[in-house]
Amino acid sequence: METNNDKMLKTFFAENKKEISDFGFSHRVMRKLPEQTDRSWIVWIFTSMGIVLTLLLGFQTGIISHIFRLLQIIPQIFILIGVLGFSIVAGIAVLFGQRKNFRIV
Amino acid sequence: MSNTDDIRWVTQVALLGDKRAFDKLTCKYQSFIRRFFLNLTMGNVPLSDDLAQETFIKAYLNISSFQGLSGFSTWLYRIAYNVYHDSVRAHKSYADLDQYQIDGQHQTQNEFSAEKMDIYKALKILRKEEQTAVLLFYMEDKTHKEIARIMNCPLGTAKTYILKGKEKLSVYLTQTGYGNK
Repeated sequence: METNNDKMLKTFFAENKKEISDFGFSHRVMRKLPEQTDRSWIVWIFTSMGIVLTLLLGFQTGIISHIFRLLQIIPQIFILIGVLGFSIVAGIAVLFGQRKNFRIV
Repeated sequence: MSNTDDIRWVTQVALLGDKRAFDKLTCKYQSFIRRFFLNLTMGNVPLSDDLAQETFIKAYLNISSFQGLSGFSTWLYRIAYNVYHDSVRAHKSYADLDQYQIDGQHQTQNEFSAEKMDIYKALKILRKEEQTAVLLFYMEDKTHKEIARIMNCPLGTAKTYILKGKEKLSVYLTQTGYGNK
């Protein structure tokens, strides 16, 4: 149960609670960070491994040839609408994602 | 920005050494960590900024040890708490200096000094552990469990620190007439 003392302390600390502006603090921290080797190659290795694995399994199980057969059957206009629709939806999603993360320094 | 963002940025820093991701984490948490230090050091802006900087550098260097058992914020406060205590231990020889003289010097440089006189005076009546626990609870909105994790002590001990701090502060604020405002 919240007592009067609790309320008083909450008010006291709330009155003294301040947001501190960055004023270049993050930049100073970034400048002081030690240099580390670029490890972005890890992404490329795993991406390549993923592609190779997908192609291997796709050809072995016949999924890829099945997809090609389907593409020949489905009318081209549907494929075009699907690709365009996906690009538009993905584009809008990325745009909103960037807006959400946008900050003024 | 949610905890999911934190996990994504931490993963990018830990796996790829991505400094931009760490910059986002720094921007998000700098205010909380600097405020925490500012209150612990009784308004000493240069010292609190130095300690905050050390905290973020340590976090960057040890980010792979973050296991995600607690939130990134709790983990960061834990580092901050350790940094502060290392600093206190290292500068214990200065403890005999006239504290009021030091505070007076710093308060003239501090942009919040006039408004924050009350809180620093109030915090001074508490022991270091009580100050930390009370600040984490009332100012930084941490739970008892998180405070115990940050201060690396049993849950009961953390609760005791908060309770004792609360009692002392209530008496102090009542005596100074704050409760009547």
